[in-house]
Amino acid sequence: MAQIFPKWANKVPKQIQLGLILGLTAIVFGFWYFGSPEYLEVGYAPEQPIPYSHQLHVGELGLDCRYCHASVEESAKASIPPTQTCMGCHEQIASDSPALEPLRESWETGEPVEWIRVHDIPDLAYFDHSAHVNVGVGCVSCHGRVDRMQVVMKTESMSMGWCLDCHNDPGPDLRPVEQVTNMDWQPPEDQHELAQMIISKRNIAPPTYCNACHR
Amino acid sequence: MSNENQRTYWKSLNELAQNEEFVKASEREFPKEASELKDGLSRRNFIQIMGASVALAGLASCRKPVQKILPLRQQPEHMVPGNPLYYATSMPFKDSVYGLIVETREGRPIKIEGNPEHPSTLGSTNVFQQAATLELYDRDRSRHILQGDQQASREEFEAFCAEQFADTDQRIAFISEDSSSPTYLRLKQAVLDRFPNAEWVNHEPFSDENRLLGNEKAFGQKLRTYHHFDQAKVILSLDEDFMQLSDNDVENVKRFSEARRVKSTEDDMNRLYSVESAFTLTGSNADHRLRVKAAQIPLFLNALAARLSESVDGLEAYRNHTNEFSQHAWISVLAEELLNNRGESIVAAGMDHDSDVHATVAAINLALGNAGTTIAYLELPHVEAGDQNQRFAEVTRRLGAGEFQSVVIMGTNPVFTAPSDLNFAEALDAVPVSINLSNHVGETARLCDWHVNKTHFLEAWGDGYSYNGVRSIIQPMIQPLFGALSEVEFLNMVLNGEYTTGYDLVRETWQSFAPQDFEDTWATVLHDGLQEGTSFPAVSVSLANGFTEEAGQVLGQSTPVDEEALELVMKVDSRVYDGRFANNGWLQELPDSITKITWDNVAQISAATARRIGIPDERDFGDLDAHKIRITAGDQTVEIPAWVIPGQADNSITVTYGYGREGFGRVADGVGTDIYPLRTTENLLFHSDVQVERTGEQYAIASTQDHSSMEGRALVREASIEEYRDHPTFAPDMVYIPGEVDEKSISRYTLFDPQDYPENEPQWGMSIDLNTCIGCHACTIACQAENNIPVIGKREVHREREMHWIRVDRYFSGPDEANPQVLHQPVPCMHCELAPCEQVCPVAATTHSDDGLNQMTYNRCIGTRYCANNCPYKVRRFNFFNYTKEYLTTGEDPEVVQMAMNPDVTIRFRGVMEKCTYCVQRIQRGKIETKRETDLKKPADGTVKTACQQACPANAIDFGDLTDTDSQISQIKRNERSYLMLGELNTRPRTSYVAKLRNPNPDMA
Amino acid sequence: MSQKYKYKPEPALVEGDHDFGSITKLISDIPQQATPKWWYIAFGISNMVLALLLGVVTYLIVQGTGVWGLNKAAGWGWAIVNFVWWVGIGHAGTLISAILFLFRQGWRTAINRFAEAMTIFAVMCAGIFPAIHVGRIWVVYWMFPIPNSMQLWPQFFSPLLWDVFAVGTYFTVSLLFWYVGLVPDFATMRDKVKGKWAKFTYGLFSLGWTGGNRQWQNYEKSYMILAGLAAPLVLSVHTIVSFDFAVSIIPGWHTTIFPPYFVAGAVFSGFAMVMTLMLIARKLYGLQDIMTVNHIEKMNIIILVTGSMVGFAYIMEFFIAWYGGVEYEKFAFINRATGPYAWAYWIMTLCNVISPQFFWVKKFRRSVVMSFILSIVVNIGMWFERFVITVTSLAQDYIPGAWAYYTPTLIDVLTFVGTFGLFFTFFLLFLRFMPMVAMAEIKGVMPQANPAFYENDKMADLAKGPGEQQTGKER
Repeated sequence: MAQIFPKWANKVPKQIQLGLILGLTAIVFGFWYFGSPEYLEVGYAPEQPIPYSHQLHVGELGLDCRYCHASVEESAKASIPPTQTCMGCHEQIASDSPALEPLRESWETGEPVEWIRVHDIPDLAYFDHSAHVNVGVGCVSCHGRVDRMQVVMKTESMSMGWCLDCHNDPGPDLRPVEQVTNMDWQPPEDQHELAQMIISKRNIAPPTYCNACHR
Repeated sequence: MSNENQRTYWKSLNELAQNEEFVKASEREFPKEASELKDGLSRRNFIQIMGASVALAGLASCRKPVQKILPLRQQPEHMVPGNPLYYATSMPFKDSVYGLIVETREGRPIKIEGNPEHPSTLGSTNVFQQAATLELYDRDRSRHILQGDQQASREEFEAFCAEQFADTDQRIAFISEDSSSPTYLRLKQAVLDRFPNAEWVNHEPFSDENRLLGNEKAFGQKLRTYHHFDQAKVILSLDEDFMQLSDNDVENVKRFSEARRVKSTEDDMNRLYSVESAFTLTGSNADHRLRVKAAQIPLFLNALAARLSESVDGLEAYRNHTNEFSQHAWISVLAEELLNNRGESIVAAGMDHDSDVHATVAAINLALGNAGTTIAYLELPHVEAGDQNQRFAEVTRRLGAGEFQSVVIMGTNPVFTAPSDLNFAEALDAVPVSINLSNHVGETARLCDWHVNKTHFLEAWGDGYSYNGVRSIIQPMIQPLFGALSEVEFLNMVLNGEYTTGYDLVRETWQSFAPQDFEDTWATVLHDGLQEGTSFPAVSVSLANGFTEEAGQVLGQSTPVDEEALELVMKVDSRVYDGRFANNGWLQELPDSITKITWDNVAQISAATARRIGIPDERDFGDLDAHKIRITAGDQTVEIPAWVIPGQADNSITVTYGYGREGFGRVADGVGTDIYPLRTTENLLFHSDVQVERTGEQYAIASTQDHSSMEGRALVREASIEEYRDHPTFAPDMVYIPGEVDEKSISRYTLFDPQDYPENEPQWGMSIDLNTCIGCHACTIACQAENNIPVIGKREVHREREMHWIRVDRYFSGPDEANPQVLHQPVPCMHCELAPCEQVCPVAATTHSDDGLNQMTYNRCIGTRYCANNCPYKVRRFNFFNYTKEYLTTGEDPEVVQMAMNPDVTIRFRGVMEKCTYCVQRIQRGKIETKRETDLKKPADGTVKTACQQACPANAIDFGDLTDTDSQISQIKRNERSYLMLGELNTRPRTSYVAKLRNPNPDMA
Repeated sequence: MSQKYKYKPEPALVEGDHDFGSITKLISDIPQQATPKWWYIAFGISNMVLALLLGVVTYLIVQGTGVWGLNKAAGWGWAIVNFVWWVGIGHAGTLISAILFLFRQGWRTAINRFAEAMTIFAVMCAGIFPAIHVGRIWVVYWMFPIPNSMQLWPQFFSPLLWDVFAVGTYFTVSLLFWYVGLVPDFATMRDKVKGKWAKFTYGLFSLGWTGGNRQWQNYEKSYMILAGLAAPLVLSVHTIVSFDFAVSIIPGWHTTIFPPYFVAGAVFSGFAMVMTLMLIARKLYGLQDIMTVNHIEKMNIIILVTGSMVGFAYIMEFFIAWYGGVEYEKFAFINRATGPYAWAYWIMTLCNVISPQFFWVKKFRRSVVMSFILSIVVNIGMWFERFVITVTSLAQDYIPGAWAYYTPTLIDVLTFVGTFGLFFTFFLLFLRFMPMVAMAEIKGVMPQANPAFYENDKMADLAKGPGEQQTGKER
């Protein structure tokens, strides 16, 4: 009786087994890595209708974050400044710059400037800025060195795991409350003691249960 | 039949979903509202913003869809994006206003609470007030001025008015709803001055007119009866539903429940007697209830008056009067009770009963010395001379006779609500020019030459007096969504032929109330919601001379009632009232407190009556079909499903108005049966003799409670006040709870490691006082408004899938099956410390929080429904379909109803479980604010109030931190009547109950 | 000897005058013959039903679980009932192949092959339901411990999670077991069939089996090991399925007797199903010699025993409800027998407790017709058992105010019917293309397998019994 299968066919079963194991692992890993916000989100830096440069305004001119994001200390929302705030300066400065056309248009028509959201957490997560900045979590911790950004870019994954990392161990990200908006504040040698001090002073115990963020 | 209704209801919603944008939007899991708003909260801006954010939502890519942020142009004063703003205003209802506090988010009113400073609400609300926000965002509200069926601009109407009303001698009929607004009344006077031949009549289908007339008969003056239920030890209610369907219900309940609240064995309770034909909410809370036909109530009252007249002066007219009730056991008992509590009792009769009944009631109260103590008689500035019902009939007749050149109908909807024998529609035809002002293009509006769309009270300036005369301002929370006219603006336009803003009109009126430092007063009134120290003057009354004679004559005419005749009693509905709320999904889906039926009105009958008609006198479990019956009164006939309800008087059928609308709105149309055709000038309250036959048709009923017996289980625990005094801990003693003995040994009773609660976290708990709870469902709607709970429609409720997070179970108990006692029990999530639901969720979507909440994480839920199965309290609700999508994204402009949503609460998607969260969004806000603004570790007692707690007019719900031993809640939980429902299952619920007490009269046992 | 002893041998497991060759021919011819007409008809029908299943499931996933009759009280309905029922059916296969194998029950060889096939297809049908009954099937993978950026894991307390693993393992092991058993027979087929592709395919699956001594040794070893692995699974799977109910707090579910009671019930229904299928197959393919009346009788005895165990469990439930004195549980059980679902309860009792008692009578035990009818009755009864347990307990539990009556919708029914489409599609394919009886194994239980068979005439004589003496040589 003639052979149906060549000799090498003997290896095939083992190969299939091996392939399956490797394949499945690869799939799981693929989803875990390429599907993660870490991979998908970080580096997102969309073109804004007005090429507003934080580098210029914060880095060079030294504006404080709260000058524009006024409600950050009292509300969940940091809030994008109303046109009025920009016009405060730009009625005098660069009042005819073509880049500012949308701004002036908004000021005249009353239509809003359509900024593109960079840091967008899902609607099912309720993040509260005031709860963080008032206990000494710096803007930098989540938004990166905005003062060095021509175009605002997302520097952190802002995935749930990323939030939990800090909620489980807030120490490293704490700083004196008055330093919160300071972009280049460096943790001192005794950061650990400092953190402990802040934690006990502001009785910080970051919640890690679901309802803290999901309602 | 029902399916017909259903299909049309749902279909019409879906058919209207044409706009791709919103179809796209609906593809997103959680439709999102604009993050911020622009200045000037005008409708246009809303639409643009909603449009923008929603439109972009559709463009899904591998990344999350691109989101845009639309900042304001100018920040309005005080407004902080993301934080709520609270304003005081008041809600006009018939001829009073109710003081409210409105929560607005980025300029959208989203939640209504009572104004604690305002006597009409004292911080609480009823269902109508809670549902008012949805009323505002009703997409079927009229959006245009209509000339015939052509849209017209305000200018055109302005021009028309100027031209039409230039001739001041013409005969104009003004038909208006009741109003207490000083501005409105000022303009009304101006109108009557300007048009000498004009006729002004109020048409309010269910006004307090009869009570006023009764008082006039008794005291010679139309006076408003103002009850102080907190002062009364004994209350006799004759068909009077002062807890729900009479004016000033919120204050009544507040006062009543205060006199009802028992904190210790020392406290006393009032005693409530109720004599009525059908269960009213009030009757369901009575200590003793007598069921008689509505027609017999005057007789009962006369018999009582006769008995009282033997002991007190002022009732001579009734002396020696006898009728079938004279020997009734109740008469002697009641007489004794009332006489023992002179000056501390209240006798009240239902507003639908005729003026003679109210006259007798007034005389009795006077004779018992209640006038001035438990009852104040108030002088109204806006009272109309004469019997409004008669005057309306008269005006209608003259309209028909063509005696008027024009008719102006404001607010009211006579074509729908007027007695059928008046043929108002025909009469309207005979008038050359008819103008109508109303919220919806309803029955009347469609027949008028001009229709002007009316503003909602949340979007217009106005003012008014509360029931007891506290002067208040109505301030708008938002610009009119559909650019409409308020009644004052409208009336002013008719008067002067030109548009003046309501703001100016109201201020003009108020100049006279605060001649000096007007601006300050104005600011204060706006802030507080009322003007300090204002109220109607209380009159010290005395019996009108001639009353005795009149009463004597009336008594002479009184005839015995035929027990066997089938009586038909027609009442306002507890959800849609006279039909004005018919297009409000929250109210339509709210179960009636007694029948627990939604989306329908039924003919309530007793078992005996059912047997007489020839339909089954009881239902099998699971059988939610009702037999339809045909009711014929005079030449009018309606077909309506019959529902057997215990406690109904035999040979008496009760039906409610307001259903069976056509062309009124997508929600209202085709729901229930219209019974106004049976309403005639002669029979405003009841027909004493109607023909009834079964049609043989079956009709599907959507009831939220199928089984009404407690099966002898200790769910609601009650005792008489005596029993309580003998055995104060009767409630917890009813069931032995393992592990209760010593808290240390919990672990012995559970397989799982007991949860440890960090000391920096508050521990939330709730207590519901079944003794003060009256079962009014205000909590249910408050919860629905606060937590974005969808409306799912009749078909789904009929499949027993209602979504309410806090339901109110109603049980019938007691030996007498024909006239049982009623138990109301609100059931929210119990937030068990050892929650059965948590152990069985395969993906940890429901877990326990550090502050003791049983958390439901919607976006982790995969929808196995195992948790709901394993919940002994059955409080979990499942999104079987995409209810919220149906509710929020169908129709041609869903963004309108989206505006009613609370931005702090996630919109739930299909296939996820949901349930009461103890209003966790409020808890989180409270915690964060505490951390931000104080050094306290935990929110102070009273910082966090749940929606149900805040709404409850009886203050039956308490909520707070259990780790704070002085907190209200901790004290209540230490009360000896506090018990855990199903605590024996060792679920350790955080929600506990305080046992119910009754105060029966020993002589009646 | 004074007394006359007569050695009464066990009745032969294979009747008729068969030798190895004829057995091989009998079995391996089936796939080689031209496909019979009835097969096409049956296959067509089951395909249509399968299509129906796909349609209904798609509709379900598009619309949401609301298309079922579920409500606020009854969160589970037919879907779970069907799941438990199908898993139960599956049990017989593993029991026969694993446990009877370990107990050296030779008669299993006649039926183990397609009992195992049935197991696998039944578990496939069962597996559908837990997947489709969830509200959001697109995130059902959260049930598996996969690393993710949410740093979340499944909740290992949940019986549903245990189910996933239990049923998963069960399916895998059963499949392996079945396949290992098939290898030698595939080889036989490979050598018998004509046609390149047929040879190739059978060859592919026979993994180059040559029937050498060493192969047989390894084969026996691995088969034994797998049997050892599978045996505990027979008990574990339905035990864990029963935990879905027993672990909960609902009166009527919260019952410690559930694990043994569910396993007994599973074997009960499983054997009934094997019986049904076997009787059909043996008629259609004329396998009466292999699947003899003795086999039928043995299976009927098992049905009788397990059926009585189930009946005993029913009684115990009532006793404990009364003896335990928990009012809610008392109500739950009395309500089952007298309440709105009494009809279902009495159908259950009739089918599961009364009907098997017929098998006390030898005549019925050995009657093909009787066995066929009762086997179907039993399966109906077992479905109702699951219905009664699941639905009555949920519809009326602790708080009367929240009670709600459960009624299935058309979609519920069609989904269930559809699963039969799936089952029979696979089963027919199996009948058509695979050796439906384990040729290798059944030869092992034939007298010819005895090494001494051809030499020792006495043995042969004894095997034949008196009166018909023959010598080995003549054969």
